[in-house]
Amino acid sequence: MKIPERILKKVEKPARYTGGEWGQVIKDKNAVEVRFAFCFPDTYEIGMSNLGVRILYHVLNSREDTWAERAYAPWVDMEACMREENIPLWAHESGDPLKEFDILGFSVQYELCYTNVLNMLELAGIPLYAKDRDESYPVIMAGGPCTYNAEPIADYFDLCMVGEGEEVIEELVELYKEHKKKGFCKKDYLHEAAKIEGVYVPSLYTPSYNEDGTLASFTPLYDDIPVKIKKRIVKDLNKSPFPTKLVLPFIQIVQDKITLEVYRGCIRGCRFCQAGMVWRPVREKTTDVLCEQAKVLADASGYDEMTLSSLSISDYSCIDKLTDELLAWTDERKISLSLPSLRVDSFTKELMEKISTVRTGSLTFAPEAGTQRLRDVINKNVRKEDLLRACRVAFEGGKTQVKLYFMQGLPTETYEDLDGIKELAESVIEEFYRTPNRPKKAPGVTLSTACFIPKPFTPFQWEAQCDMDELLERQKYLDSKIKDRKIKYNYHDAKVSRIEAVFARGDRKLNAALEAAHKRGLRFDGWDEHFHYDEWLKAFEDAGVDPAFYANREFGEDELLPWDYIDIGVTKEFFLRERHRAYAETTTRNCRETCNGCGANQLGGERSCCPGLKK
Amino acid sequence: MLSGPQKIRVKFSKTGSLKFISHLDLNRTVKSAFLRSKLPIWYTKGFNPHPKTVFSVPLSVGTASLCEFMDFKITEEVSGEVICDTLNSVFPDGLRALEAYEPTTKFHDIGWADYEIRMEIANADTHVEEVSKALQAPIVIEKTTKIGTRTLDVTEFVKILSVTEEEGRLVLRVKLCCDDMNFVNPKYVIDFLAEKTGIPGEKDDYSVCRTAVYREDGTTPFR
Repeated sequence: MKIPERILKKVEKPARYTGGEWGQVIKDKNAVEVRFAFCFPDTYEIGMSNLGVRILYHVLNSREDTWAERAYAPWVDMEACMREENIPLWAHESGDPLKEFDILGFSVQYELCYTNVLNMLELAGIPLYAKDRDESYPVIMAGGPCTYNAEPIADYFDLCMVGEGEEVIEELVELYKEHKKKGFCKKDYLHEAAKIEGVYVPSLYTPSYNEDGTLASFTPLYDDIPVKIKKRIVKDLNKSPFPTKLVLPFIQIVQDKITLEVYRGCIRGCRFCQAGMVWRPVREKTTDVLCEQAKVLADASGYDEMTLSSLSISDYSCIDKLTDELLAWTDERKISLSLPSLRVDSFTKELMEKISTVRTGSLTFAPEAGTQRLRDVINKNVRKEDLLRACRVAFEGGKTQVKLYFMQGLPTETYEDLDGIKELAESVIEEFYRTPNRPKKAPGVTLSTACFIPKPFTPFQWEAQCDMDELLERQKYLDSKIKDRKIKYNYHDAKVSRIEAVFARGDRKLNAALEAAHKRGLRFDGWDEHFHYDEWLKAFEDAGVDPAFYANREFGEDELLPWDYIDIGVTKEFFLRERHRAYAETTTRNCRETCNGCGANQLGGERSCCPGLKK
Repeated sequence: MLSGPQKIRVKFSKTGSLKFISHLDLNRTVKSAFLRSKLPIWYTKGFNPHPKTVFSVPLSVGTASLCEFMDFKITEEVSGEVICDTLNSVFPDGLRALEAYEPTTKFHDIGWADYEIRMEIANADTHVEEVSKALQAPIVIEKTTKIGTRTLDVTEFVKILSVTEEEGRLVLRVKLCCDDMNFVNPKYVIDFLAEKTGIPGEKDDYSVCRTAVYREDGTTPFR
């Protein structure tokens, strides 16, 4: 800890910056060969909650030759102090400046943290662009969901890890070690790294553009690196590394509990959902493995809450067995078990009674669209009856508050669908009064709507985002329609969603816009108080790019997409097929019922419901 | 076996990173350490069982301490030594259990505390006299509480123990009243000094550590 105390006394939540938590890994820096820092481009509280970083911190620190540390984006008050006194951004464990490290690995979770990546590099005293960094600077890597389309940030990173990082990160460190021994040459290292499956080295690929600005070609610089970068997966989740020790934060973080990852992937195939596609194929951990891991984590952490984590937890094939076996000892250990939001079709009285978060507070369901027609378009496969049945169970169980999540601006959405949202909320209220043994309190429904954002690697990747004025109009419309005071309506800021949409489907031309935004002082765009839409528009203007080209244009089905050079297993043909089924209002059955031939099974692995499953 | 839960008091130090965590966060940190320790801690019965941990005089965020106290209950007999060793094996650095015993006093009995204020200022030795002199005057401070800011003369609640130069730092040792009614935060003394003498200056780093706690008489160590 080298930050002057008087600064720590001045800033909000100083424990964000001190390090020294229980479970942090301290090593002798002279006894290791590689110094790695995980950089999280958001606050400590958010970064510390990230399961991926928790896993990879454990993976690298299990190596004797490597010391992995952590760094986070300083909040604006600390940033001001750092700039005033020229304090370079440091890593928590050693307190050493990031500039002295061998490798910085950024966990890039969502588009709105891109400006924080740039800000962190600047605060660390590291040139922003990869081309401006010679061997004297750390190698800057990126991982996380955003690397499925890293083009808008490609110029800043030396390399990107695509897919699950447990194995590839070790391979990259190993390679680094070898190259360091023979005198590190960045160019050689990157060339070799590009041959590792799941590694994308942006500088080794050149895009060219058509006159209309669309991508014409995307060419590797060398013959011996892949034309398409295949994402990495962990083949057997039961054997995948998992942290046996957690870093326990002093202050409350967002996910302040044990996160038990139950399975990866999703059987559902909602057409707007990127996570459900990029995490395929579905791979489950066995109940035995999970119970064992849960116990280890409970012993090592001292957390009194545990949450089961996956994209749709109730789709875990042994959910009842798992919750029963966990509950057999968690109570005695003073640990309460919680589940993330549940699908309405799998929400049962038994599950509700078992799980404590369901016991307290309100319940959250995500019908996503207001009418059956639109729910069929997005392949949500949830019916109104399912929702009302789930709500009735909740009301019978003593609940009075229900939160419903929707998306607005979905492809083919009409005003009828908006009315549907309102009617659905009203039906829930009616259902409450139809429940004979309902609680003696007034019911409440909170509607939360997000704006649809077309994401790469989804059947809706070609869709235009609804024009912003139109989005605002639709929010206003729904707001005016809701008269019942038992129904509350919240909606996401359409401006934020638009910026997210621009970068989600962006290409390399956006790197300049990002730099312009950074120069205008933008950071923490995911935080309302620091989001400045007008500044963003000016930044696009500075860089000479049109945000509408990315956000509000329907991409051509025959167009070469900026992320087409990445192979996530699921094929473009499947996405196209699904897109056409969406327009035909035809649903697709889930992976457990039938195989839809998405292509993910070609990635192999111990899959849970793909054909050709190894017994 | 004990006939009922037995009260235990742990004297502990809170230094390093730990001095930057609030009272609430200290509580969380101790709670998770208890679960790791597997000591037979007594938990409240009910929906949300929690160890009923009570801490002594609050410590400002940023202030270290060598003499904090917390009380809790255990359900089985464990020696003080085992409690300390076990807790230290699960406490983060900066939190150290020093002693554990069955208490015979109440936190309410605490009346005074010693603080050591170390200031990193240039030519510390040349400022010793100036600082000593400034502190001989009546100490009038601005105290901000929920009901507003008042001007208060706290001279009778502040005892200057020493002003010295040690290893290039200016070290001020004070005994401050810390009963409920007349609690003097060391920050008040530092602000008073800064206003009078410009020491410590805005860019001078300083650290504060609570070094001892006494009963109402100001001389009997609290235990």
